[in-house]
Amino acid sequence: MSAPGPDRAEWTGSSLPTQVWVLTTRSLRAAFGDYRLVFFGLLQPVVLLLLFTQVFAGVGALPGVAPYAGYVNYLMPATLVNIAVITAMGAGAGLMAETYTGVVDRLRSLPIRPVSVLLARTFADSARLTVQLAAITGAGVLFLGFQPRGGVLGLAAAVLLATVVGWGLSWVFVAIATWRRNVELMQAVSFVAMFPLMFSSSAYMPLASMPGWMRAVATVNPITYAIDATRALALGRPPGAAPAWALLLALGAALGAGAVAVRNFRRAT
Amino acid sequence: MPRPRIDAVDLGKTYAEVTALTGVNLQVEAGTVLAVLGHNGAGKTTLVDILATRVPPTSGTATVCGFDVRRAGHEVRRRIALTGQTPSIDTTLSARANLVLFARLLGAPARAARERAAELVELFGLTEAAKRPAHTYSGGTRRRLDLAACLVGSPQVLFLDEPTTGLDPVGRNGLWDLVRELARAGTTVVLTTQYLEEADQLADRLVVLAAGAVVAGGTPRELKARVGARTAALGFPDAWSARSALDRFRQSGLAPVLDPGGHRVSAPLPEAGRLLPLLRALERAGLDVVDLAVTEPTLDEVYLALHHAAWDLA
Ligand SMILES: Nc1ncnc2c1ncn2[C@@H]1O[C@H](COP(=O)(O)OP(=O)(O)OP(=O)(O)O)[C@@H](O)[C@H]1O
Ligand SMILES: [Mg+2]
Repeated sequence: MSAPGPDRAEWTGSSLPTQVWVLTTRSLRAAFGDYRLVFFGLLQPVVLLLLFTQVFAGVGALPGVAPYAGYVNYLMPATLVNIAVITAMGAGAGLMAETYTGVVDRLRSLPIRPVSVLLARTFADSARLTVQLAAITGAGVLFLGFQPRGGVLGLAAAVLLATVVGWGLSWVFVAIATWRRNVELMQAVSFVAMFPLMFSSSAYMPLASMPGWMRAVATVNPITYAIDATRALALGRPPGAAPAWALLLALGAALGAGAVAVRNFRRAT
Repeated sequence: MPRPRIDAVDLGKTYAEVTALTGVNLQVEAGTVLAVLGHNGAGKTTLVDILATRVPPTSGTATVCGFDVRRAGHEVRRRIALTGQTPSIDTTLSARANLVLFARLLGAPARAARERAAELVELFGLTEAAKRPAHTYSGGTRRRLDLAACLVGSPQVLFLDEPTTGLDPVGRNGLWDLVRELARAGTTVVLTTQYLEEADQLADRLVVLAAGAVVAGGTPRELKARVGARTAALGFPDAWSARSALDRFRQSGLAPVLDPGGHRVSAPLPEAGRLLPLLRALERAGLDVVDLAVTEPTLDEVYLALHHAAWDLA
């Protein structure tokens, strides 16, 4: 048996970029390795997309929707955001599942910054999300008659924006996970938050067609900004200030919730 | 005089209703091995977790390598390594990939990390399992990987929480050798155990915890002197010869006890030299010995002796 040699004496820590890079590569394997994660994240939004485009095809004729030339064009960008939101909600549960395997315990006793562990997770999740969004967009064009007027560039911008929104929102759920290490609570929060968040936005209906109080809720719903921005980019319409707002909100969520998550992460129990 | 590597003063930890640790004072010098002995729930893990900065203490202070565990946790973590009671490795990765990951995070360049991982795989006998994901390993193999993960860097202080639990005798002896060698090279080792024998084998000093408090501390020799020594237990073919043997024990200056089964007599053995005269006396009396065992005191006997000592003082 050989005791540690002097050449390793200086291995007492790595830079933050190294930590993030090494941990992201590790998390990427987990993010893509489990096909169930890739598949089930898509299941609910795709079912909603199919149901809505088929059952509510008539909605396409409504005044607010008619300019989009088909309900699918109105819905598809919203579905991208929907998938991003669901992925974000999974981030907390994912972190907790990992906590139980013990590796997070080891990471916590190494001289690394907690933020790098959390950043790595959210980056890896975002990479998976980008691939999922690209796949769904392609399927929409091929099978559902989705006509993105924004072209490849507009679509890429839409996918990217939805990814950043999902990334920002995922910090909120990571923060909840580090605060209350409780999978059931996470799922309950996600389930309760999911439907009102999506339906009280511009995802399925234009705001103009909603009753007054609902319109008020939808106007302040941050998801509305994300959807409006994604929709404008994908369909090649003037986006106005929506992308800026969406990015700002995502960044704000990441910073605020991130600070809470990092503070909580050190605690062992 | 240099500062001790570990210096804990009046350390305590309470959870909502439980006092897990209370009033612990501890100094551990460089290159020495401290064994923390105690039953389930005595506070061993709590003590190790506080010193390794995993759990903040609720009272008292502790420094490791001169850095406060509460205020300078990051600096402490740069100088220590910990193998906790439960395996903490990435079970989706192979042994090799785990070790490379930890080496990279400690700042090793990719190539050096791979070389170090290969060395440790060899050292801990993980070659066979090196390429499979860790969730397919046996418990002992996982434990060995967990221990290997501690030695990726060169920690000044090594914390091992019940390191030999789940290891087979070969693995246990290998670990004992490794601990001795690390201590010789200047590493401070803190390990917890439930076995006095293990503490006796490895430790320069030991502390006994009961209900979160240190109830005894010192060198293994000092503790054994307080607890009394080994026990000799002799088995006889029948109850009659066992009873006859009692007298021979007494004549040899021992205090024998007849086991409830009636075929076996045991007595504390202050020195090993008492054994041979006893056996000769038994032979002269024509009494057959069918079984012979000399055992180290168990943790129970340690507690019992300490309890009696407390009584004596009262
Ligand atoms: N997170 C916690 N919340 C509440 N009580 C705790 C917590 N962790 C430990 N305890 C309590 O603190 C006491 C000491 O626990 P600890 O894990 O330090 O014991 P131990 O000596 O390591 O035992 P074992 O030999 O079983 O590992 C126990 O009574 C335990 O129930
Ligand atoms: Mg323990």
